[in-house]
Amino acid sequence: MIEKLEPDLDFKRRIIGLDARDLSYCYQCGTCSAVCPVSSEENPFPRKEMIWVQWGLKERALSNSSIWLCHQCGTCSAYCPRDAKPANVMAALRDYSITHYATPRFFGVALSHPKYLPLLFALPVAILLAILAGLGNLGGLPEGRIVFAKLFPDFYVEALFDIAVGLAVLGALAGGARYWSAMRGARADGGGSFWTALAQVIREILDHGQFKRCIDEPVGSRPTHQTHLYKTHLAVFYGFLGLVATTASVGVGIHFFDYLTPWPLWHPVKILGNVSGTALVVGLAVFFWHRIGEQARAGKSTYADWLFLIILALAVFTGFACESLRLADLAALAYPTYFVHLTLVFFLLVYLPYSKFGHLVYRTTAMLYARSQLNARGLVADASDLAK
Amino acid sequence: MANKKVGAYICSGCSIAGAVDVEQLAALGAEAGCLVRKSPAFCLEDSRLIRDDVAEGAVEAVVVAACSPRVNTDVFRIPGATVERVNLREQVAWSHPAGHPETQELALDYLRMGIMRAQRVARPQPYTQANTRAVLVIGGGIAGISAALNAARCGFRVVVVEKQEELGGWANRLYRQFPKRFPYRGLPPITVVEQVRELRALPNVAIHCGSSVESIEGEPGRFKVTLRTAQGTVEDTVGAIIAATGWQPVATEKYERYGLGVYPNVTTSVALEEMAKRGVVARPSDGGPARRVLFLLCDGRGDDAHLPYGGNVSSLVALKQALYVRELNPEALAYLFYGDIQTPGQYEYFYHAVQADPGVLLSQGQVERISETHDHSLAVELSGTTLGPGTALEVDLVVLASGMAPNTATSDGALALRYLQGQELPVTKFGFADSNFICFPYETRRTGIYSAGAARQAMDLAAAARDGRAAALKAMQSIEKSSAGQAVHPRVGDMSYPGFFMQKCTSCGRCTQECPFGALELNEKRNPVLNPNRCRRCGICMGACPVQIISFADYSVDILSAMIKSVEIPEADGEKPRILALACENDAYPALDMAGINRLEYPASIRVLPVRCIGSVNSVLVTDAVSRGFDGVALLGCKSGEDYQCHFIHGSELLEKRMANMRETLGRLMLEPERVQVVEVAIADYAQLPSVLNKLADAINEVGPNPMKGF
Repeated sequence: MIEKLEPDLDFKRRIIGLDARDLSYCYQCGTCSAVCPVSSEENPFPRKEMIWVQWGLKERALSNSSIWLCHQCGTCSAYCPRDAKPANVMAALRDYSITHYATPRFFGVALSHPKYLPLLFALPVAILLAILAGLGNLGGLPEGRIVFAKLFPDFYVEALFDIAVGLAVLGALAGGARYWSAMRGARADGGGSFWTALAQVIREILDHGQFKRCIDEPVGSRPTHQTHLYKTHLAVFYGFLGLVATTASVGVGIHFFDYLTPWPLWHPVKILGNVSGTALVVGLAVFFWHRIGEQARAGKSTYADWLFLIILALAVFTGFACESLRLADLAALAYPTYFVHLTLVFFLLVYLPYSKFGHLVYRTTAMLYARSQLNARGLVADASDLAK
Repeated sequence: MANKKVGAYICSGCSIAGAVDVEQLAALGAEAGCLVRKSPAFCLEDSRLIRDDVAEGAVEAVVVAACSPRVNTDVFRIPGATVERVNLREQVAWSHPAGHPETQELALDYLRMGIMRAQRVARPQPYTQANTRAVLVIGGGIAGISAALNAARCGFRVVVVEKQEELGGWANRLYRQFPKRFPYRGLPPITVVEQVRELRALPNVAIHCGSSVESIEGEPGRFKVTLRTAQGTVEDTVGAIIAATGWQPVATEKYERYGLGVYPNVTTSVALEEMAKRGVVARPSDGGPARRVLFLLCDGRGDDAHLPYGGNVSSLVALKQALYVRELNPEALAYLFYGDIQTPGQYEYFYHAVQADPGVLLSQGQVERISETHDHSLAVELSGTTLGPGTALEVDLVVLASGMAPNTATSDGALALRYLQGQELPVTKFGFADSNFICFPYETRRTGIYSAGAARQAMDLAAAARDGRAAALKAMQSIEKSSAGQAVHPRVGDMSYPGFFMQKCTSCGRCTQECPFGALELNEKRNPVLNPNRCRRCGICMGACPVQIISFADYSVDILSAMIKSVEIPEADGEKPRILALACENDAYPALDMAGINRLEYPASIRVLPVRCIGSVNSVLVTDAVSRGFDGVALLGCKSGEDYQCHFIHGSELLEKRMANMRETLGRLMLEPERVQVVEVAIADYAQLPSVLNKLADAINEVGPNPMKGF
């Protein structure tokens, strides 16, 4: 099959603009693909992604599972003889692909440009203010013991966030499906059973096997991003899952058992929430530290990286702040902080498929696709080595 | 000769005394009538003992029995005397078991050979009659201009001959050049005009444009040149010649496979350069702008569309021209496909700079097919790219890298040498001037004539300017040395040159044919005539002469033969075999030294006799050795063939031919041809040398003792 190439220099410039300007240095030696702990003989990367971007071959670069199979350990950048920093290019491609596959498209654009940030905040603020106005709570802060439900009754919070999560899921499914069909289009051969692959991938995600591979199968002695990534991401991942579980439990408690908040600190769900939040805080702190202190190894950080990290950190921080202020009985601070916290959580959830948070959609999709391809060819028996 | 006053200086240092009996050596010297002195280190203050003996007239020929002749050369350069070096250290003490009787025999034989040689050598009288301090530069391109400028600035008179009407060569036809200094970005303008102006302003430079060389005869220091100029014939005498004759593009029909000459929009880098100089990169078919330009470098297929060698210039030119495309039309795209891209040294930064232009798209790849689409646009199918399988492009213009073919091979009559061996410089199979590539890249096989610029090797402007400077240095060195009657290279400073005992000459002309440097001409009686300054003193003529009439004052068949005969041959009981090793002093002899330095042991039955070139070994020496009773003769030469190592081009090959005849002679003497073996030794092979020599000795021993012993 011969495909006539139509270089898209605008795409190339966009990727370069996402802090990947060194990609022009690449001379295709393939060292990066050889040293990558997660790439495979079947589907080596990131060498081919480098030249696709150099040539502005947008479709080839975006309709490939490789960019999301990469876990950004930075080994390729550490060993690149020309300092072309392939890891930065892969990260830039991921940023770009989130915007590219975003459905509706506007959110993708909005999340990747700082100028839309006020608008993105304005939406949840307006909704929350509208709710407050509807409830007549705009006039002043509730009196007495601090109970956040006095400001936003549980029903409204639940309803709002059920809708928010619903929208997020729809956006994620649409984006994931577009990515999936792009990959299918680029590579015509069929895959294996979806459900088998899904089971394997979930196991893979839960034990962070790909991150661990960067530690278990180090390529050489050069310092890379690899050693901290497994532990830190594990902390953030389980911290986040813990908080989701906490929120879900609270919802269940209120609705089915009329067990109204606030719950006492000794309550197991409360403990889970606090522990998860702490894990998340520690993990995020380490990520911040690496992004700032070790740029060379971690790769450059784009707007999307910072936005994601800061919003997540602020959400966790305001969550803890609400809890502390409530216990300290500082109503004048506690209620506004709660308002901010709800805004941030809304931001996180609704914009999930369009922000860097969208990686959980696209990476999962890529892993599913790659896994089902491999299964179809009977190449792997063990779910723990996805890339082999 | 025999009553020459010889001094034997026997050193006991560097573990010589521990390996051999120095007293016995001293006794041998005394017995031979030498003045004998001993010292633990003649290389230190005791070297004064030698100088004093010579200064007092007690000694005319010095024999230093100590270290290798390759070391301490300055210490043992004794004014007023000939000096022989007997290598007791590297080739006796360091390479043979200490105290062994055979080791002692070896040392004694070497001393006998040294004394014998000392008694026979004469001091060479230099030939100093050719000393014109002028340089002829053929070719007024960048290399020629640079050579002329530098020679003229050094005070030499310079004559420049250029066939075009103006100086500058290819540089005149270029739009811009690629950057030559940090930060290697941008395309600087061509500056040849300034250099031409500078050259024209020099008073000691004569420039003949629109001219060519009609003939050249003579030798370094006195070349008679006749030029054909617009004003008529000009005659002049120069001391050295620089051939900066440049290059020309490889014939275009070779590129027909890529559509050149078939499709209007397929062109060459030379044509694109002219286009860019006019300020536009256009489609030749309709003059419209070329928005998509594909550059194709040699893709490494090695088919006959390509030159048999590669150069980095075409890579750099393609990168430069890709920037032309981008600069003259920022909307345009430049594709560049290559087999490999070569940007040596600092040009790597230029490669970086070109890559950083987002509109220059590079990939490895081969063109499978080029065809025309509707409006003379070109559809190019590519394979072997790193872009993924099956790649095709539609482009407006395809630019094929022009190969640079040297003018030495292709233009008859550029030098018009009146040399018996031919009008032009001998060339390699690639058409470049032949020379020992590793050791003497600027030399040609015509002494005093140096090639420079793209005629020597495909190169860019900066390299050509550098090359011109270097060639000017060599040319000036050649004039200085020739004037003093000394060899230029590789035997720098050697004042000997061959003499001919003409009464016995049979006019066979073999010497004139075998001389690798065309030093010998035939006169009207078909007798050889030497041009001493063309000679490199290798002695190949001496080896070639069937009647042994060619000799040097300090190197001759007689001297070597006497040395061979001075070796004591023991009884024919097979216990103490003797093998003569005639070793090339440029490679094999140093390799033997290296073996000694590394304390590698080889058979003590071998007597090593260094020769200037293995090609200088006359067959009669082998016969002499065998008649004397040597059980075998090893001829240690250099690597021959295409990548020859020989300093004198093909000494080993000539010897091999002679030895074929030699083996017949041995047959007539009822001797086994296996007794004579030719071995190629590279200096780096020293570690393998012991096993090579052991095998060789075993093979000769297997044949059995020489039945001629004792006759």
